[in-house]
Amino acid sequence: MPIGRMLARRLVLVVPLLFVILLGTFMLVRLSGQDPVGLLAGPTATAAEIELVRASLALDQPIWVQFGVYLGKVVQGDLGASWLSNRPVLAEILERAPATLELMLWGVLIGAGIGIPVGLRAAFRPDRAFDQFSRFFSLLGFSVPTYWLGLIMLFVFFYLLEWAPPGMGRISLFLEPPPRVTGSYLIDGLIAADWEVASSAASQLILPVLCVAIICAAPIIKQTRAIALEVLASDYIRYARAQGLPKREIRAMALRNSATPIVTFIGTEITGLVGTTSLIEYVFAWGGLGQYGLSAIIAGDFAAVQGYVLMLALFSVLVFLVVDIYVTLTEPRAA
Amino acid sequence: MSATIASPRWVRRIGGISRRSPTLAAGVFIILGFAVMAVLAPWIAPFDPEFAQPRNVLAAPGGAHLMGTDGNGMDVFSRVIAGARWAFGIAIPAVLVGLLAGVPLGLYTGYRGGWFDEIAMRFFDALRVFPSIILALAVVAAAGPSLLNVVLVIGFLDSPVFARVVRAEVLALRHSTFVESAVSAGNPTWRILFVHILPNALQGAMAQTAVRAAWAVRISATLAFLGVGIQPPTPEWGAMIRQGAEYLVTGQWWVGVFPGIALILMVLGLNMLGDGLQDLLDPRRKAATR
Amino acid sequence: MSLLRVEDLHTHFISRDLDNQIQVAKALNGVSFSLDAGRILGLVGETGAGKSLTATSIMGLLRPPARIMGGRALFQGQDLLAMPDDDLNALRGRDIALVVQSPKSSLDPLSRIGDQLIRIRRAHRGGTASEAREKAIATLGALGIPDPARRMQAWPHELSGGMAQRVLIALALMNEPRLLIADEPTTGLDVTVQAQILDLLRDLVRRTGIAAMIITHDLGVVAHYCDEMAVMYAGAIVESGPVRQVFRRPAHPYTVNLIGATPERLRLGATRTVGGPPPNLKALPPGCPYQDRCPQAGADCTMVPPDVPLGEGHVARCHRVAA
Repeated sequence: MPIGRMLARRLVLVVPLLFVILLGTFMLVRLSGQDPVGLLAGPTATAAEIELVRASLALDQPIWVQFGVYLGKVVQGDLGASWLSNRPVLAEILERAPATLELMLWGVLIGAGIGIPVGLRAAFRPDRAFDQFSRFFSLLGFSVPTYWLGLIMLFVFFYLLEWAPPGMGRISLFLEPPPRVTGSYLIDGLIAADWEVASSAASQLILPVLCVAIICAAPIIKQTRAIALEVLASDYIRYARAQGLPKREIRAMALRNSATPIVTFIGTEITGLVGTTSLIEYVFAWGGLGQYGLSAIIAGDFAAVQGYVLMLALFSVLVFLVVDIYVTLTEPRAA
Repeated sequence: MSATIASPRWVRRIGGISRRSPTLAAGVFIILGFAVMAVLAPWIAPFDPEFAQPRNVLAAPGGAHLMGTDGNGMDVFSRVIAGARWAFGIAIPAVLVGLLAGVPLGLYTGYRGGWFDEIAMRFFDALRVFPSIILALAVVAAAGPSLLNVVLVIGFLDSPVFARVVRAEVLALRHSTFVESAVSAGNPTWRILFVHILPNALQGAMAQTAVRAAWAVRISATLAFLGVGIQPPTPEWGAMIRQGAEYLVTGQWWVGVFPGIALILMVLGLNMLGDGLQDLLDPRRKAATR
Repeated sequence: MSLLRVEDLHTHFISRDLDNQIQVAKALNGVSFSLDAGRILGLVGETGAGKSLTATSIMGLLRPPARIMGGRALFQGQDLLAMPDDDLNALRGRDIALVVQSPKSSLDPLSRIGDQLIRIRRAHRGGTASEAREKAIATLGALGIPDPARRMQAWPHELSGGMAQRVLIALALMNEPRLLIADEPTTGLDVTVQAQILDLLRDLVRRTGIAAMIITHDLGVVAHYCDEMAVMYAGAIVESGPVRQVFRRPAHPYTVNLIGATPERLRLGATRTVGGPPPNLKALPPGCPYQDRCPQAGADCTMVPPDVPLGEGHVARCHRVAA
């Protein structure tokens, strides 16, 4: 029941947020001072295409009617057509989303798998050598440009050592992608029992995933350490020591109490990680949503940008929702 | 300890601060190094950073070209040195823009509260849904890739951070005795804000400046790498990495590696400086690490 | 033999300032007292006098930069300060129990009350979970908590301040300790709840014959609930003795000031002493630490003051006091 209430409260907050973002993307095109038809249809549009776009925008109506028309289309899943490819934006986004999700999922899992234990260990023995090292590593992770890390990875593992395949897409150019089930080439390859495809997909994944993991481990280490230190300095841990509870139990208590804030932090980090992932995709020609968004922004493909921005917002909302559900389930105070 | 007693106070102060926060000391050291490099660039650099030698393209490091030459035959070492000027030249004004926009906003929203505060905070929340690099990229792409635009965009994207810090301080200070007595003494609002509250609220914002400068250097380099910010052949590190990217997979690593290392060091130095400053200025944070 | 006998306890805070100079704050400067079973000792003094630090030093709960520089704390004849960490940890919560002043934040927020009670029992005494559960219900019931079996299911955040303080006392009693240290147990509670909690503590000592030490800045609490009292100033006990004796004939000028500053002597509620800033522990004057604020200070006060016995265990550390 508390989950139902929480979901309802969330939705009430989400609707205005999405409304503001839609208004923003709408205004981005209308207020740029240029002809919205030209922006949305693109510089290569034919006269017929321009007419089509003009007719669909209700431009002869007042601006709030135009916004209404835009809203109506978005609700129906019509995000317009990209002028780079001339295809519906929604279809292009859905096609590319799994590639990005696959990259982020593995990256975050590995990044958290490294970051949380390192941060905890650093916090349990502060100011020791391990703590100093982990602090330096996390500062370094904050400072390394994402794309440069990707380039160096390619240089070392592809050019110098010849261990990794070239950074060109999600699967060897000589192989056909597996039949689509989940959209992840690795998992779909395994499902189709096509080992060649699966192993190619896996070897293509390694370097970009490693980059995402390294970049995302840095803030996780830093924040996990800070959270655990705060818990360790809390009244209840100090009191547990005063009660003479065994070290093992005190540590378990600290871990349990750190879990919720750490998960919440990782949730907020995932949103920021979209930027990191986009740059990694750009360097590795990954062909996911991040690369799509970057090229659309750089090229000025406004319909695609609008759709991409909306997807980002929806994604963030979804991640926050998952975090909220987790918190509601684990936190007695939230009930 | 007898040795430290004999030494002058400022030497002891440096020793004390480095002991308290080695991170801060290392950060200051790195940034001072870059500052010297930036100021003395024309005298240190062996070549003009934009002097192209078409017959000496992609020369490996060594000889006259310590870090080799790039695809245009320009000396990478000289360009890396000159890049420090661009890094400071973007980061310092960008942080100033962020402070100038964010601090008054934080002062006002924190002091006044009400609907304006509410709207500003919700707007900042909505911005947080998007990764900052995507926002910066979108605005710079739309506004055009000039140096001024890059600085303004980074500055304005920074301003919510400063606004939040200042706002939080103002909220804490607003009901303090000295502000209440200033109000009852009949001081006008602007005077209370700028004379009574600002000096006390600024410390938190100042602790953020180094970290925000690190972010500014990173983002401006990323924009240049994506071809949207500063354009080649300007010796900006991100733009140089972009030039070097294609050569990395063919073996001419020096074009992209050296500017990358310079960029990491500069950002690392600023981050260390910022981390150390926060340690030093925020006693609560330090207490938590003890 | 006393249950607890503290002798010449010194605790310092040692740190370095920004000029890389070593700073020593002498927080405890030779604290000595003793406490017998079945007695309640009130430790009073202003904030920073070292009351809580005395307790944490004895219990081995100091964290850097605090460090014990000397002294002994004999508990049942064993020196707690010389005891290995693990032995002391086994003693804490079993033989010496602590009740602190922020009960709500001192309970593990992610464990139900019952589980916390069971946990501490089993950590020290072993036994089965159901034995511990029975003991927990009985302890809660003995503390006057209605429907203890149901209360076991409660989360800490659901408790009122007074209820949380009772739970803390229950936690302290789960292993039948010999010594109970209550550090400002009623700060932040309603006046009526304060009285209930303190009544509870006093009855407990009378019934079970354990010893208790109540740390407080409230002279009313001392007057109403304690048998002995010790007044702390600048990390030392300046006057101690039976409560009635000290209140009737306060000898040390600081105690006189303290009792005089309580407008309604025996009223419950917070009192603060007046008459100057707290002493700078980093630069204590030689001799008596109270000389800067003392109305009767003279030239001899720069000499270390003697402990003057005033009869029936009443002692004051002052040059101005005649036996």
